[in-house]
Amino acid sequence: MIYDIRHVTTYRYDSHVASARCTVRLLPRAQDGQRVIDSGLEVSPQPAEKLESLDYFNNRIAVLRIAAAHRELRVAAMARVEVTRREPPAPVLTPAWEQVRRDALSFPSLEGMSPVNGLYPSRLTPLYAPATRYAEKIFTPGRPVLEGAVELMTRIKADFKYDPSATGVSTPLADAFEKRGGVCQDFAHIMIAALRGLGLPALYVSGYIRTIPPPGKPRLEGADASHAWVTIWCGPEFGWRDLDPTNAIMVGDDHIVVAIGRDYADVSPLDGIIFASGRQKLSVSVDVIPVTDMR
Amino acid sequence: MAGERASLRRNDAGAQRRIEAWTGDYAPLPGVLDEFLDPAGAPRPHWMKLLSALARLEPSEIEQRFAAADRRIREMGISYRVHGEARERSWPLSHMPLLVSETDWNEIRAGIEQRVDLLERILSDVYGPAKLIAEGALPAAAIAGSPDFVRAMRGVKPPGGRWIRLYAADIGRGPDGRWWVLGDRAQAPSGAGYALENRLVLSRAFAGLYRDMNVERLAPFFRDFRTGLAQAALRSEPRICLLTPGAWSETYFEQAYLARYLGMLLVEGEDLVMSEGRLHVRTIAGLKRADVIWRRIDADWCDPLELNAASQLGVPGMLEAIRRGEVVVANMPGAGLIESRALLAFLPALARRVLGEDLRLPNIATWWCGQEQERKLVLDQFDEMTISGAFSETVPGLGGARDVLGSDLGAAERKALISAIHERGMDFAGQEVVRLSTTPVWSGGALAPRPFSLRVYAAATPDGWRVMPGGFCRVSGRSDVRAVNMGEGAQSADAWVIGEKPVEISTLLPTADNVKIVRLLGNLPSRAADNLFWFGRYLERAEATLRLVRTLCGRIMDADMPAHGGRQSIERLQRILAAWGAAPPGADELRGFSIAAALRSEEAYGSALSIARAARRAASVIRERLSQDAWQLVGRLETRLTAEEFGGASEPEIIERAEAALHTIAALSGLVNENMNRVAGWNFLDMGRRIERGINTCRFARQFADRDAHAEQLDVLLDLIDSQITYRARYIVGVAPAPVRDMALLDPYNPRSVGFQVARLDEHLGALPVLREDGMLETPRRIATKLRADLAIEDADQLDTQKILGFEQRLMGLAEAIAARYFLDGGQAAQASRPEGLA
Repeated sequence: MIYDIRHVTTYRYDSHVASARCTVRLLPRAQDGQRVIDSGLEVSPQPAEKLESLDYFNNRIAVLRIAAAHRELRVAAMARVEVTRREPPAPVLTPAWEQVRRDALSFPSLEGMSPVNGLYPSRLTPLYAPATRYAEKIFTPGRPVLEGAVELMTRIKADFKYDPSATGVSTPLADAFEKRGGVCQDFAHIMIAALRGLGLPALYVSGYIRTIPPPGKPRLEGADASHAWVTIWCGPEFGWRDLDPTNAIMVGDDHIVVAIGRDYADVSPLDGIIFASGRQKLSVSVDVIPVTDMR
Repeated sequence: MAGERASLRRNDAGAQRRIEAWTGDYAPLPGVLDEFLDPAGAPRPHWMKLLSALARLEPSEIEQRFAAADRRIREMGISYRVHGEARERSWPLSHMPLLVSETDWNEIRAGIEQRVDLLERILSDVYGPAKLIAEGALPAAAIAGSPDFVRAMRGVKPPGGRWIRLYAADIGRGPDGRWWVLGDRAQAPSGAGYALENRLVLSRAFAGLYRDMNVERLAPFFRDFRTGLAQAALRSEPRICLLTPGAWSETYFEQAYLARYLGMLLVEGEDLVMSEGRLHVRTIAGLKRADVIWRRIDADWCDPLELNAASQLGVPGMLEAIRRGEVVVANMPGAGLIESRALLAFLPALARRVLGEDLRLPNIATWWCGQEQERKLVLDQFDEMTISGAFSETVPGLGGARDVLGSDLGAAERKALISAIHERGMDFAGQEVVRLSTTPVWSGGALAPRPFSLRVYAAATPDGWRVMPGGFCRVSGRSDVRAVNMGEGAQSADAWVIGEKPVEISTLLPTADNVKIVRLLGNLPSRAADNLFWFGRYLERAEATLRLVRTLCGRIMDADMPAHGGRQSIERLQRILAAWGAAPPGADELRGFSIAAALRSEEAYGSALSIARAARRAASVIRERLSQDAWQLVGRLETRLTAEEFGGASEPEIIERAEAALHTIAALSGLVNENMNRVAGWNFLDMGRRIERGINTCRFARQFADRDAHAEQLDVLLDLIDSQITYRARYIVGVAPAPVRDMALLDPYNPRSVGFQVARLDEHLGALPVLREDGMLETPRRIATKLRADLAIEDADQLDTQKILGFEQRLMGLAEAIAARYFLDGGQAAQASRPEGLA
């Protein structure tokens, strides 16, 4: 499946911003099952410096310095991506979760996608005992790791209510867990904390999901959104497998990966420092258009 | 020390008796080595040498010298802020140094040199090719768990070639007599400055003794550390900055002290800016390149763009500057990972593998529970182990405890901890229990044994690692031999390495041939300029408040005052004080107005006390730029106004207080004018005073010299601007509006007039660096020059309240223009909000 993605972020400020410096993580990464055919950023005002590089996790980042005074900052990311993922393995064939825990602890690599990076608490996903207890009931001794993870994902979908009003971008994991509600980011954080509590390596994935408009209705411009899910390491043979707890599905060709990290803080689409005193207003619009549909 | 010599000649029998009295009851703790008595109970020779020398002094003299040391600690403001406390505390210094023999020291030094070399190699491997990981010598998971494994630094070559430039190890002596490493420090080791300060205090209090004991000097270590930093830079005369988290940091005193001692620029994150791939300091002369950063902020806070996005302490873009090789950072962000206990477990084997030799100083035996065998061993011997966090300062799940002895746990806690270790062993480490040796402290006229640990330091120098001979010794307040921290009752002690031969004397003084004469000390950072300016303004505001209070008291006491005009003056004085916030919130400006409150109220933000505190806060940020005498006077100004020193609240007592405080300010002004170097810092301090005085004088003139002012009111104005004597000498006819206005506003010869202030401001601005290249005047100078001319041609007869208000507003505009041109960006750096609207 080939997608065209347009992700526009606009900051409007009450007063003039003298200068700004920001890190942009909006260009989709290349990885197994995902090819980036074309991609680029449009920024206004024109940045004085722009530096693109790959971060530790192999995500594509762009660092911008804007020297011109401005009251509006607009960052538009465009990409054409082809997604052809392999079929996920049958969960029952994956190794016992205790074996995966042992393999992760002795995995001899410090590269970005080494399972050791998914083992420990991180900035937004501290270990949280109630989440660990929640997962413990599912991961019975000897259970295949992906089977357990799929059930954990299904449970989260059943027990937690999708409710954008329940949480904000900085709501702590424990709050969302207690409220049994939130959005994709919260569900992903909760699932990650639960898996790590058992010593299983899990990472956070940011990206998009293809939305299919209701029958007979046209696709609404800009109505799509960023999405987030979880990837779990299933041992050296099966590697990382993506699970989407918001929709309780294994990730296939409807998902487009932008970046991977330990939690949202590692993949936040736009981190910035501005030099100004007034308030700011932020708006985001996202379009994910399957190219094959348009033909 | 003539007194010391004289008393040396006294008879030895008295000395012998004194030593008996000090040590008769000295009883080492069972099962623990003692530094003073050997296992057979005999005193060790180097300690006897110290005690004999000390015993030759009269007891009263010893007490005097101890008291002198304590006083010096207090006066120098050697202080330490316990995390989260607003006020700094004095640092308790043990009167007894820790003595380390040369033989012991050689063992420690060789061990530390070897250890830091090993740690440096481990860091360059972990952040580089990671061979040790791939070959299985070091589990990746034992690194990835450290919050100081800075992923963004992987694959980066450290500019200047080293990950560590200042390293510290906490060491202690075990029951077998060997020194053991308890922990490693490479994030931003603190304490070296305190060690230096402790040395200065103790060596001054016992100068003769210190000389005779052949104590190794500390200065060469600091000199070499600085040389090491300078040589790592790309330029030959690099600008070295000490990056502090700010005046609220626990160890701010030490940072300011070291910056001054080592001649570095003390900067906060806001002072630095990344531009064109390099780091720069914002100064009053524009951006100046920063070549070396000695950071005292933790790595996670260094760069909000790549690390903790919430950090306001760091510099956006610092990591990028490092990657480009444009700035040397000591220590490199990420060096802190060698502090984790998990790593301790692997060091003995890594030493053999990497260096081909055993560790010369063993570290305390440690097992990382992320490995199956080790976890089993720790659980099997749970009761004989200390359990601690493998990567964290506290034991996970135990609510803040640093470590815990297995056998100390209750049944429920024990079960929970064991199950947590089963579940996530990688978060825990087991360590053998070490019983630290004890050293004598002076307690109630005798010696008593206390456990201690010693922090020793190594610096990267052009000739390799150099270890500071001595260190920062922490002595426990209790006899518990397992816990040493700076909690209740703990002290620090100077550590003396006792040479067998007299030592070479050296200070930071360089040799004559490598010094270039420089008259300007670098460029003034914008933040320092800002704080100096405000320090000046607060001092002047405090002075004006004190004058208002004194004048008000005088009027109230003056029974002969003409009833009508006097009442009006009193009301106006009170109104000014109330408008300045000198009345406690809620108090009516006329009824119930308390003069005592205007002087010393804690709540009123504009009381003389509150202003004195604000002055002290501003001064504390630029402490490295003030002389010791000036800093002491700033402290004294505050204590003069606090309730403890304050007597009653009668008018005569208030006048006396206010005058004492005014004298302190006068002394401070004198010091600043006579002793402060006329570089840019002085310009800003003086500009702050002049601006504030000009504004205040306009304000007083509007209240007391309007068109229908009585003689009584004009008299008040002359009091407030301290110009009674000049006026009486010049005009014998008595007070009249126009001459008084001339004296207060226009007279270029009266150092209290507005005209005089503006003339000085104009001169100051003319002396400062210029950014414009077109030769045009910069905005502040333009405003000042015009105002100066307008005041020069103004006629006192034509002055009215409206005109005076106009001058006042122009002065305020000038203050704003100065801030916009010389200080940090008007707007604060803020974090852009993060996108919401996730699916």
